[in-house]
Amino acid sequence: MQLFGQILVNGILLGGLYGLMGLGMGLVWGVLKIVNLAHGALIMLGGYALYFLYTKAGVDPFLGLPLAMLAMFVLGYLLQTLLLNLIVRSAQLNTLLLTFGLDVVFVYMAQLLFTADFRTINPPYAGKNISLFGVTVPYAQLGAFGVAVLLAALLYLVLDKTRTGRAIRATAQNLVAARLYGVNPKRIYAITFGTGAALAGAAGGLYGIVSQITPYIGVTLTAKSFVIAILGGLDKPLGVIGGGLVLGIAEAMAALYLDPTYTDIISFGLLVLVLIARPAQLLGRA
Amino acid sequence: MRPTKFLVLALALALSGAASGQEKKIALGAAVQLTGRLANTGRYYGDGYQITVDKINQKGGVTVGGTKYQLALRIYDSQSDTNLGVRQYVQLLTQDKVNFLLGPFSSNDALDDSSVAEKYQVPMVQGGGASTQIFSRGYKYVFGTLPPADDYFSSTIKMMGKLDPKPKTVALVAADDSFDVSVANGTRKLLKEAGLELVVDKQFRENNADFSSILSLVKSKDPDVILWAGHEGEALNFIRQAKSLDVNPKLFYSFTVGVPTADFRKALGKDAEYAFGMTPWLPEKELEDDWFGDAEQFDKEYQARFKYSPDYHAASAAADVETFAKAIAAAGTLDPKKVRDEIAKVEFQSLYGHIKFQPNGQISLPQTVIQIQDAKVVPIYTEDFIGKPRYPIPPWSKR
Repeated sequence: MQLFGQILVNGILLGGLYGLMGLGMGLVWGVLKIVNLAHGALIMLGGYALYFLYTKAGVDPFLGLPLAMLAMFVLGYLLQTLLLNLIVRSAQLNTLLLTFGLDVVFVYMAQLLFTADFRTINPPYAGKNISLFGVTVPYAQLGAFGVAVLLAALLYLVLDKTRTGRAIRATAQNLVAARLYGVNPKRIYAITFGTGAALAGAAGGLYGIVSQITPYIGVTLTAKSFVIAILGGLDKPLGVIGGGLVLGIAEAMAALYLDPTYTDIISFGLLVLVLIARPAQLLGRA
Repeated sequence: MRPTKFLVLALALALSGAASGQEKKIALGAAVQLTGRLANTGRYYGDGYQITVDKINQKGGVTVGGTKYQLALRIYDSQSDTNLGVRQYVQLLTQDKVNFLLGPFSSNDALDDSSVAEKYQVPMVQGGGASTQIFSRGYKYVFGTLPPADDYFSSTIKMMGKLDPKPKTVALVAADDSFDVSVANGTRKLLKEAGLELVVDKQFRENNADFSSILSLVKSKDPDVILWAGHEGEALNFIRQAKSLDVNPKLFYSFTVGVPTADFRKALGKDAEYAFGMTPWLPEKELEDDWFGDAEQFDKEYQARFKYSPDYHAASAAADVETFAKAIAAAGTLDPKKVRDEIAKVEFQSLYGHIKFQPNGQISLPQTVIQIQDAKVVPIYTEDFIGKPRYPIPPWSKR
């Protein structure tokens, strides 16, 4: 029973981080109708941003997170303004091609600039933990979970309460009507993609604290984000965190009670199940 | 690349091209992971081959039947894609017409790429695949300079018999790729023979990033020893997550890879301390070599040129090139079949160790048990103790 509790906690903590990874992908997908194949690469770049902030400038990773997110927001904003806006309303294949190309470019630039060495963000408290009712709760993972939930709640509030947030949702729901009310879609798209990149950056930084960063972590994370975004319902922030939790817990449980080699089968099995049970989720929106 | 550097390089290339116009060449080809997820270890092969080819050429090349030949190296970047690697090996033989093949990194790749060598009956000497699967197919053209994966933990398990307190229970955690499956199979057998009890035996998916479930299971069984087999990136995750979940083996833990590399210690910092591991090679003066002088000299020249330390992968790569140099000279011809027969007979002392292939094509080298102590790799055990282990290792809370 104690083991079960420990696995559940592990799954929840991991799931929060997964949710954060899916958040940016779901937002961009839901609003811009772009399946961003470079999402994992943005996570990776955010990880490097935080790594260098910590190792070169000595900024505490959790305090450096907003800075890394800001840098990633600027990158995302520029990418959308200069590149993606050119083709945002053409066939979806074009956006897939472009984001795939961006992914390749980012990954190889990262190897050239940062080498393939393994980087870890290792603040003194990274390995510390507390024990609650016989269950070990690591601080870093708990912190990552907290940040993920906080950012999801923040995104929810922004989308729901602010003028920009409403403009984002309006653009997603009905572009023509939104324009009639004075929304500038290109600007909204840039803000949305920037926000998606910033969220990816945050996920990357936290990933560097609990795991490690190399130029190649992105591929797997893009696939996971894809699954989570669909599970959670694209631009519904709290839903996406829920999707992350489902995946995190399912993976942790499968690793213990089935076999640790089954984790990928679980991720994509869940995806297939959702597509069978609720295909409208995908087809209706994207 | 800076323009001046580029110019110098272009000039050097042009000059070497002009100078070698009359010289005869022996072309060695390989597809190596210079980019992609295995690039971190793949670079040892690209760089190890290059420095050895250059060294042999500098010392006069290879004499074949009275004629001097220079070695030429043709390397493709397989981008850590096994299928691409196979296509590149076919291209090396059919279009580039290289004379002989060197290998890629990792057992999964060597397993597939060596089939190309066998099909075209061109010998491949590879220093990157240790899995016994590669050598159990009855192939005649594949030779390997990494010791068999089955035996990776052999010296560690022998050492366990002499440690005080003596370990009794073991948790075995291994990845599901070709190399680690071989390691796990061999280790299970060795543990049984040594009368040790296996309390956890778990396989994980290659590239796995989350070890929390396995670690929690290990913690619940409280084993004396954790034996771990996988690739370096996974080892880093395992150790960091073991720390954050406060999972401690009662006596010690050991890792098949990672521990001998500088990168491992850099990424983990203090958390790398006490980790046991193994290596078939250490840069020692006693390992004499015809071209480099000795292993220490190789280590120095390699660091000076590539700005990072070589580990056994790089030394194994160097031994592959030297094996060809010896075998081709002995054969007195470039005929692939005759050179293949000479490789099977070759026996010489190299910077990597004593090179002699068993009938199945694989080398046999003992693994030295090592431990990280004060950020240094300290040799602990070969046939007997050669260093003092820090044992039992302290739990995370007392470090």
